[in-house]
Amino acid sequence: MLVDDEPARAALLERALTDTGFRVLGRIDPEEDLVAVVSRVQPDVTIVALDSPSRDTLEDMASLSRDNPHPIVMFTAENDVETMRAAMRNGVSAYIVDGLEPGRVRSIVDVAVARFREFQALREELDIARCELEDRRVLERAKRLLMAHRDMTEKQAYEALRKMSMDRSQRIVDVARNVIEIMQLVSGNDD
Amino acid sequence: MTIEKKNIQLGYVTLTDSLPLIAAQHLGYFAAEGLNVSLSNEPSWANIRDKTVLGELDGAQMLAPMVLASTLGSSGVAVPMLTMFSINLNGNGMTVSNDLWAQLGEVATSPEPLDVARAMANLITRRDRITTLATVFPVSMHSYLLRYFLAAGGLHDWSRVRIVVVPPVRMVSHLKQGHIDGCCVGEPWNTMAELAGVGRPLVTGYEIWQNAPEKVFGVTEAWARSNPETHRAIVRALARSSRWIEENPGDALLMRDRQLQVREGMEPLPNVKWGLDRTHRGAEHFHVFHKYAANFPWRSHARWIFAQMQAWNQIPTDVDPGVVARCYRTDLYREVFAESALPVEDDKPEGVHRAEWNDLGVTLGPDLFLDRQIESK
Repeated sequence: MLVDDEPARAALLERALTDTGFRVLGRIDPEEDLVAVVSRVQPDVTIVALDSPSRDTLEDMASLSRDNPHPIVMFTAENDVETMRAAMRNGVSAYIVDGLEPGRVRSIVDVAVARFREFQALREELDIARCELEDRRVLERAKRLLMAHRDMTEKQAYEALRKMSMDRSQRIVDVARNVIEIMQLVSGNDD
Repeated sequence: MTIEKKNIQLGYVTLTDSLPLIAAQHLGYFAAEGLNVSLSNEPSWANIRDKTVLGELDGAQMLAPMVLASTLGSSGVAVPMLTMFSINLNGNGMTVSNDLWAQLGEVATSPEPLDVARAMANLITRRDRITTLATVFPVSMHSYLLRYFLAAGGLHDWSRVRIVVVPPVRMVSHLKQGHIDGCCVGEPWNTMAELAGVGRPLVTGYEIWQNAPEKVFGVTEAWARSNPETHRAIVRALARSSRWIEENPGDALLMRDRQLQVREGMEPLPNVKWGLDRTHRGAEHFHVFHKYAANFPWRSHARWIFAQMQAWNQIPTDVDPGVVARCYRTDLYREVFAESALPVEDDKPEGVHRAEWNDLGVTLGPDLFLDRQIESK
């Protein structure tokens, strides 16, 4: 997927990409609904001109990762080569194709995809870690509620949750969430 | 003291509130400080951030939340940034498509913005399709004020609304083609949408939060450390041009129009003052560049932004709030403007004043939220 406000330059880059074995799913006109098109086409990589205002739209989509996260590659004119190198070194935003040399396009896009996958993996790990922390918090809260409203000790509260979890073959954190919801309904407040 | 760096590149985006930079350049205020400034018109906020990070820009007009977001690395690599100078208060507005405007009916022009918010939330909930609203960047006052507006109006089912990012220059065409049902954008783009007949301004940002922060002059922490005198010289020039804009609104607007002509090939805006004058509610405070200690980087502003970033899951809930003081450098502002009247506190109560007030040693503007909610300090 190619996003550029200058049709002539976009056509040139499209040829370069096609020559090196990529399939260009579409060139997006700046007036089109970028969010809708990207969601529909689901490209492996989106390439955007550095001077396109659409960068902000793509960045939002990428950060929300709701619309099938995929790498975004930026390209820019020859005179910005230094910026691009610095950008790549710093890992800023994405990776940039310098100029329109067909020979280099392939490798840069490949590198971008590889770096993106690494980053995604890292982010997933972080998400998992964050989930575990969140799960523990939910569990603690359910225990506290049981202790306060059912007059249980911490150990009894935990055992009760564990038993419900086994009886219903649900994850203990899901049981804890149910307990919190029910307790809130019953008592009308949080703790 | 001598400035460390004479040749300076500053970035800005084509908007009415880039005027302080443009005016400081045209009126020779930067030159008077011994600076040789080039202004660089940037097509996107992502470019502003990246070029500042890479040192290609020394500093730039930034969305107030960007300095916090960059420091926390909420979008990409964490590069500490700071501001010691707020460029303006207010300046954005919410425009809806003609279709939504018609469906809202009479309430759209109600004198009470909260009624408008309730009607909008209600309409979004019962429409047969999902409502798409655009903002200009994920971390922007536009995003937070738009969401605040909908939440205050009582929107509960957020799956009924899709919030996307559209660059300001594309808002008019996206409204026209029906890609979006409304947007929150800085001037002159609400006015442009109305002039083009593709939408109607519904509320101003001022009506959602009176005298809310908007744009700041941002630099990286590393740059600020290496160039303290240059930094001071730049903000002195900006303070001077901010004052000039408020004292000479007519000339300032002509300057804005010339800028739009050069950059976007647009005709001068006929009879439009600061924009959105037709909505009456809060129009006289639409842009505040200097009065009400507008240039002071209030910690309470940054604190509100920080809370919004957490509320909308842009940053984890366990982030150290110390980032507020790290990014909003009231201490630096106090050093530069030691000769002027300064607020005696770094924070002010938000959401409590319905009129001008003077308790902190300077005249400050009203700061109510549209639901009259008081922001706890």
